Amino acid sequence: MASVGFEKATHFYPGTEAPAVDELSLEVEDGEFLVLVGPSGCGKSTSLRMLAGLEEVDSGTIRIGGEDVTDSSPLERDIAMVFQSYALYPHMSVAQNMGFALEMAKVARPERERRVLEAARLLDLEPLLHRRPKALSGGQRQRVAMGRAIVREPRVFLMDEPLSNLDAQLRVSTRTQIAALQKRLGVTTVYVTHDQVEAMTMGDRVAVLKDGVLQQCDSPVRLYEHPANAFVAGFIGSPAMNLREFPLSREGVRVGDAALPLTPGQRRRLADEGASSALLGFRPEAVDLVGEGEGFAMEVGLVEHLGADCYLYGGLPGHPADGDLVVRVAPHAAPAAGGTVRLGVRPGRVHVFSPGTGERLDG
Amino acid sequence: MTAQTTPDTARRGPTTREPARGERWIRRTPLLPGLLFVIAMTQIPFLFTVYYSFQDSNLLRPDSGSFAGIANYGRVLGDPLFRNAVANTVVLTAGAVLLSLALGLALAVLLDRSFPGRGVVRTLLITPFLVMPVAAALLWKTSVYHPVYGLLNWALSPFGIEADWVNDFPLLSVVMVLTWQWTPFMMLIMLAGLQSQSPEVLEAARVDGARPLAVFRRITFPHLRRFVELALLLGTIYIVQTFDAVYMITQGGPGQASTNLPYFIYLQAFRAFDVGEAAAAGVIVVAATLVVAMFALRVVSSLFEEES
Repeated sequence: MASVGFEKATHFYPGTEAPAVDELSLEVEDGEFLVLVGPSGCGKSTSLRMLAGLEEVDSGTIRIGGEDVTDSSPLERDIAMVFQSYALYPHMSVAQNMGFALEMAKVARPERERRVLEAARLLDLEPLLHRRPKALSGGQRQRVAMGRAIVREPRVFLMDEPLSNLDAQLRVSTRTQIAALQKRLGVTTVYVTHDQVEAMTMGDRVAVLKDGVLQQCDSPVRLYEHPANAFVAGFIGSPAMNLREFPLSREGVRVGDAALPLTPGQRRRLADEGASSALLGFRPEAVDLVGEGEGFAMEVGLVEHLGADCYLYGGLPGHPADGDLVVRVAPHAAPAAGGTVRLGVRPGRVHVFSPGTGERLDG
Repeated sequence: MTAQTTPDTARRGPTTREPARGERWIRRTPLLPGLLFVIAMTQIPFLFTVYYSFQDSNLLRPDSGSFAGIANYGRVLGDPLFRNAVANTVVLTAGAVLLSLALGLALAVLLDRSFPGRGVVRTLLITPFLVMPVAAALLWKTSVYHPVYGLLNWALSPFGIEADWVNDFPLLSVVMVLTWQWTPFMMLIMLAGLQSQSPEVLEAARVDGARPLAVFRRITFPHLRRFVELALLLGTIYIVQTFDAVYMITQGGPGQASTNLPYFIYLQAFRAFDVGEAAAAGVIVVAATLVVAMFALRVVSSLFEEES
């Protein structure tokens, strides 16, 4: 077990001008579960592969357990990786697959068998130990890939979208199993996913990447409630946060026929940028239906009943082209589609971002 | 699963009705010319060969041509020159196949990584396979093996080695030409095998702590197994039939030292004009090749099976 540190780690793919990972600096504590999340092409898998030693580090350093491993080969790093395709050895049985790393490390056969059996029991793989990967289901293969990582008792687990080849139901149950297993084993884990729900539910901390640049690394709650910029705000949460530019007025921001107040600090920073509008964000559940004379009006285009919740999709009157706003209401309070409701955003739940840079504006 | 298959078969139902007799023939007609061509070109000559092998037929004796039973087979099998040709064929084929496979595998491993000019190198490495066998043999005989002007003696002279290759090592000379010609074929099959391997599996092995040699031995080689089997089988079948190189370089000599089976059959038919015996020898070779190929394939498969 060990901590992991990236320090200004950069990687260029040959023939490209923009770095795939741009000066990534990140500290992962001993035993922590860190999730790297972002849209495809954001550099999350490349970062993981740099940590694994499968991709070269063009500049910067990578440390495992305080020791500089930037230029060491994968076998010197004492890490275990779970691949998206599982990458099981097709001509070996499950037991041989799981024992391969120990065999390479010249662990004696009885010890090897003991550890493979132990891991197989943990993952419910005991009856499958003599099968070939071809004869296993997707979920079983996934567990073998996990088993192969666990058997090694490595310093760090690396997981590259290990759930993306499973069906939706299995993905949810495996998600909780992996998180529970990691807590039990206490091994530092770096986990890559493009699915923000996976990131939020599994990670102790979540690092959001975009275009090779780290946007924010925080606890899931903090990411959700205090996004550092408009990208993180829009990426985390489902349905996504309502993000829209609104014109500035004397008291604050004009939202339809109402005004939302801004703090003096926010007003000053917007004025410094010379902005005539502000990028406002509020989550679908941060909104209440209010009476006449309060809040702002929304024309309801679509009502979506999900049982426990109900989502209203609509737009400000007279601005149908501005894209839909999404609002969550209690099912019994849902209005009919085609009507107009008045909405009030709860105080303190409005996020203000710079329309130019997308930076969060506070204070 | 069952829920999925039911609508599937239901959908397929109406299309699997028996086509009418006429319609079936309409569908087959376009294939007929090809079928007839293949039968005419391969099966009729073979049947003729079988027929001649039971005839006492010698072009020098116009009165010959009576049914001879299995006398031709008896004479061929009893002929020490035939047995010598069998031995030479085994050495020639095994040597050329194994050498070209080993070289082909080595070159394929080198070609399986990216480097500047890889396409050019690959094309150049394939060219020996594209040279006509007769031309290649002639080239080797005159410019490589020639005792006075040959490149081989020139290249080896600093080490004090000098030989009349074709005379002193006739079988080895033929094996080297065949290896040169067949290495690209083996290389292409091995390269196809290497490139069909999942890169993630190799990465997993590296992360699992396997050094490059262990990765090759434990991961890559088992994956290549089927490709090796295929290359061995095809290479054997082709190289058993070698005629050009023997004819051009050694004429089966000195004496009978490099006469292989095809050349032996050629001598029987066109030097001794004994068509009956030549046909019998031809039939024996075809049958033996089939048996050996099947047997070899089984042995190789079971060897690999035990290892993994």
